[in-house]
Amino acid sequence: MLRRFRLEEPQSVAEVSELLGRFGESAKVYAGGTELLLAMKEGLVQYERLVNVKNVTGLNEITVTDGSVTIGALCTHHQLETSAALTEKLPALKKLEQNVANVRVRQVGTIGGNLCFAEPHADPGTLLIALGAKLITEKSSSKREIAAEDFFVDAYETALEADEVLTKIQVPVPAANGRSAYLKFGYLERPSVGVAIAFNLNGGVKGVKVAVGCAGPAPRRVAEAEALLEGKSKDEAERNLAQAGAVAGRAAQAISDLHGSQEYKEHIVGVLLKRAFQRALS
Amino acid sequence: MARAMTRHSEAQSIPVSFTLNGRLHEIEVEPHELLLDVVRDQLGLTGAKRSCDVEVCGACTLLVDGRPVSACTTLAFEVRGRSVLTIEGLAEDGKLHPLQQAFIEHGGFQCGFCTPGMILAAKALLDENPNPSEAELKHFMHGNICRCTGYKKIIESIMAAAKKMRVKA
Amino acid sequence: MQFQKEVEILAPREKVWQFIWDVDRFIACVPGCKEAKTIEEGKRYSATMVEKVGPFKVEFPTTIEVLEREELTHIKAQASGADNKIGSRMKLDLDVNLREQGDKTILGFVAGVDILGKLAALGHGIIKRKADQVLDEFAQAVKTKLEGDR
Repeated sequence: MLRRFRLEEPQSVAEVSELLGRFGESAKVYAGGTELLLAMKEGLVQYERLVNVKNVTGLNEITVTDGSVTIGALCTHHQLETSAALTEKLPALKKLEQNVANVRVRQVGTIGGNLCFAEPHADPGTLLIALGAKLITEKSSSKREIAAEDFFVDAYETALEADEVLTKIQVPVPAANGRSAYLKFGYLERPSVGVAIAFNLNGGVKGVKVAVGCAGPAPRRVAEAEALLEGKSKDEAERNLAQAGAVAGRAAQAISDLHGSQEYKEHIVGVLLKRAFQRALS
Repeated sequence: MARAMTRHSEAQSIPVSFTLNGRLHEIEVEPHELLLDVVRDQLGLTGAKRSCDVEVCGACTLLVDGRPVSACTTLAFEVRGRSVLTIEGLAEDGKLHPLQQAFIEHGGFQCGFCTPGMILAAKALLDENPNPSEAELKHFMHGNICRCTGYKKIIESIMAAAKKMRVKA
Repeated sequence: MQFQKEVEILAPREKVWQFIWDVDRFIACVPGCKEAKTIEEGKRYSATMVEKVGPFKVEFPTTIEVLEREELTHIKAQASGADNKIGSRMKLDLDVNLREQGDKTILGFVAGVDILGKLAALGHGIIKRKADQVLDEFAQAVKTKLEGDR
């Protein structure tokens, strides 16, 4: 049984922002509710008001424009996994979305909700960082862009301000020689380790982005691992993978918990980085 | 039907008009009421079960507009204007749905606790993909957990039902 | 959960010792701690601990008991609190040590922290990190306060 709350149903982003500003911590954005309602059921959080954002139009579309795919924050994982645009332009993201949680969570859970709740054991953030995605946010009458790699501050904490609303996620379409892959590992309900890699195959390996998630409090980009691969020939990069994996493992800020010990997770990061690189090449 | 809880004087009441197992229902719910509780307690349809309560096991699976949701973590007002299917609505005029028949014939259940959710999820699968490969079936059904059967018979039941349904179609 | 911290303070031992018993100034160094009260001078104190991890906020009205006290050297204390809204309890065992090193004082403490109840659902790892952060900030704040007052 949930505690009683008041439902607000705004019709615009400005209204959402205004409500959040007005009611502060006693109000929360509610979309799919797949994380929020669980926390509320557990009694870990309490709100006087839930702000149902699903009546705000224009936030659940996937559009392809000049070199980028723009994904509305209210797009469900199901929408993303079945999107022709994603299948064509961002197949690694499509595959990730296909494997989020289970079919029921994918049905109602939104990409925006996933990113904003910032649960450590989540998938999309890690790949969006490696793909160089930008998160578009709005409040009242101002907008801003936050790079995915700057969005995740800590466990359950993002760069969003209290009255700020995530509206869209803009993902650059990779070049024709672009390669990317996301691999995850886990045996509990949520993933324990997630690794994403993206690069252009242009003579050698160029423009590498490596991101690690799930193992630590928030997904992060690992520049130190990228440096070991950047500009290298395919073969040289492959030889550096073990070291890059070790670096990425340490950078993950892995915590020992039920998902595994710190050492175990760090090891898995290395394994997944190697495999993700090979998967991206194939 | 008598409400078990007394209404708070300032309670927010949301009218919910929806189709349940093919029939129009008009009820009123408070924002915080969960679909599973409304279906089980208010509407008396106890096929859907509260099991894990965290959207992981699928025992509370209901179909909303033909798609599977976790009723344990769905606010009841979300079904306004939609169609809801519970296990009780699957048989037509007393005639079992091919999935139900298959589960019986192929031993797809033992204690039966996961079964309503399992069958509804399978229906959603076959409505989307009438001829799934075993891999596709396992991927779709991944979120429905069974403690008894070891899944082999469940897979057999669904595949058998799928075959029957394809022949009929 | 066990934590061990040590901080070097450019201040004489007496000054650090005095600071510890100045409840208001001392409590001000604990992140999230407010409303410190002396119930029994040198023996019992109360405070409210407010901590946040993302949207999850806890408020523990806490009682602190001083169990052992060795002048200028050592304090053993125990603290406990409960947040009934969230259904969680906190227990802290604290061993504080001071030793001189030239004109510096080494303030060390060993803390055993236990979080029981619903909050534990956040995961041992998250809570451990948070507790570690709080203790780090605390040690730094004590150092800054003492070194700043010169």
